[in-house]
Amino acid sequence: MKYSRSTALLLLPGFALFLALLVLPLANVLDESFRLFEPGRIGSAKDAAYTLFNYAEILTPSYLRYFAETFKFGVLSSLIALVVAFPIAYAVARQPSPILRKLAIGFLIGMMFLSTLVRVNALQLTFGPTGYGQLLSGLLNVSPNGRFYTELVVVFGLLHYLIPIAAITLLGTIQNLDPRLIDASQVLGASRLRSHLSITVPLCIPGLLSAFMICFTLCLSAFVVPMILGKGKVLFVSNLIYSRFSEIADYPSGSAVAITMLIVALITIYGITWMVSKRYGNLK
Amino acid sequence: MKRYIDNSAAWLSAANIIVVLVFLIFPIAVAVTMSFDAREYLGRFPPPEYSLRWYRHFFSDAYYLTGLATSLRLALITTIVSTTAGVSAAIALDRYVGPGKQALESLFLSPLIVPAVVIGFALLLFFANIGVFDGFTRLLGGHIIITFPYTVRTTLAGLVGIRKTLTEAAMSLGATERRAFWDITFPLARTGIVAGAVFAFAFSMDDVAVSLFLTSPDSYTLPVAMVSMMRTNFDLTIAAAAVMLMIFTFVLILVLDRTIGLDRLIGKGVFRS
Repeated sequence: MKYSRSTALLLLPGFALFLALLVLPLANVLDESFRLFEPGRIGSAKDAAYTLFNYAEILTPSYLRYFAETFKFGVLSSLIALVVAFPIAYAVARQPSPILRKLAIGFLIGMMFLSTLVRVNALQLTFGPTGYGQLLSGLLNVSPNGRFYTELVVVFGLLHYLIPIAAITLLGTIQNLDPRLIDASQVLGASRLRSHLSITVPLCIPGLLSAFMICFTLCLSAFVVPMILGKGKVLFVSNLIYSRFSEIADYPSGSAVAITMLIVALITIYGITWMVSKRYGNLK
Repeated sequence: MKRYIDNSAAWLSAANIIVVLVFLIFPIAVAVTMSFDAREYLGRFPPPEYSLRWYRHFFSDAYYLTGLATSLRLALITTIVSTTAGVSAAIALDRYVGPGKQALESLFLSPLIVPAVVIGFALLLFFANIGVFDGFTRLLGGHIIITFPYTVRTTLAGLVGIRKTLTEAAMSLGATERRAFWDITFPLARTGIVAGAVFAFAFSMDDVAVSLFLTSPDSYTLPVAMVSMMRTNFDLTIAAAAVMLMIFTFVLILVLDRTIGLDRLIGKGVFRS
């Protein structure tokens, strides 16, 4: 093959970055996660003994709580985002006016690109004590400093970036749907709602699943939203890893949590991708 | 009955769209309004008087300005390095035919699925082990690896659409492989490359999760400065900084629309005339 040498050369910078900035660091974390930690140090000693203690610790309730919390928020927020984003994606996909369509897409992309800090700050000001925090918590009859209200604001924080992403992902799926199917079912006597429920939604299941996967993995790695909006009451796994670095410098424990989190993320992604391609591969 | 159900479903869907629009836009409007608050303290919304005091405050605060300067320098170098590496990897991937092509491609995209906090934590440990303590170098490493997959992906998407016959035609007319690349492939792939560079710049400017692990007292980015201010004091300088970040996003969208066209970014779908 005549390209092969130059091809290998072109791959070189990418490989070097990949090896130095991802593979070796992750291997290092894997090694560290099996090391024994002595309190008071920063990280483990160079020749610390190997142990499974750091992983055993994750199975205790105080650690599992972080995983449970991350999952609870992730599933709940992703589901809400899908339900809410679906009609929006549909309206944009079938929008006849090109100007409105372009505006809507520009808006969604803009909302997707918006800095996390802008959102977090905006939500803090809007739902905090100087905004409408009193009003909203009064309407819901809960304390504005209570756990429920804090959880609600965290969900708002997640939704604020999940909804645009879910809408854009679903937009692609809905656009590839033949609109004549809906017309046909309505000609045959189905109501509009019925034809959507029995045609649009089932045909969009692969798209819905991959949108769910994207939303859920984004929730798994959410960091700033729980850190700022959770006010220390709502903490995700990522915040646990950060506290292992910033508060007690227990790197072996942080490493074990990081490896576990990575495995969970990989299982979620490959699990859903596998399910979609196995069950719905023939639809494409 | 059928019409009744349809009407209520249509109403529900319209109401849903309105509620979501309000939910997405209203907090932003509150933040923008508050950033012009004339009061010296963080008071209730809406502000009684308006001024530019928080913007003046931002531009006279050395803490934020240092962060902004570091962020811009970091984003620029990150974009150059990761676009160069990403574009060359994408060209190689596009040409390569043979076993493991798919595996190679998903390998290069894999930093996308590693949670950012894990990357930050891993790099922190790794840099400490090999003795790299300079904040800027560490930040640069982190930002390159999180932006690299985007440049590979968008360039690859741009290259796939270019027909191989064009290059072959140029070469049969006497162009060398290099000349054919620079005259034919590169101009056609430009939109994908620009999109990748824009993404890289944007993600580098926005990152918190990786940067928070890698900063040092003299090298910190603007988002890191904003996060630490958000945790410690309630002051509207953050809102002013947020508004400026938002303007930056807006400019970015305009650039994307001018270079690629938003519609091409999303695609029009199979069934649109």
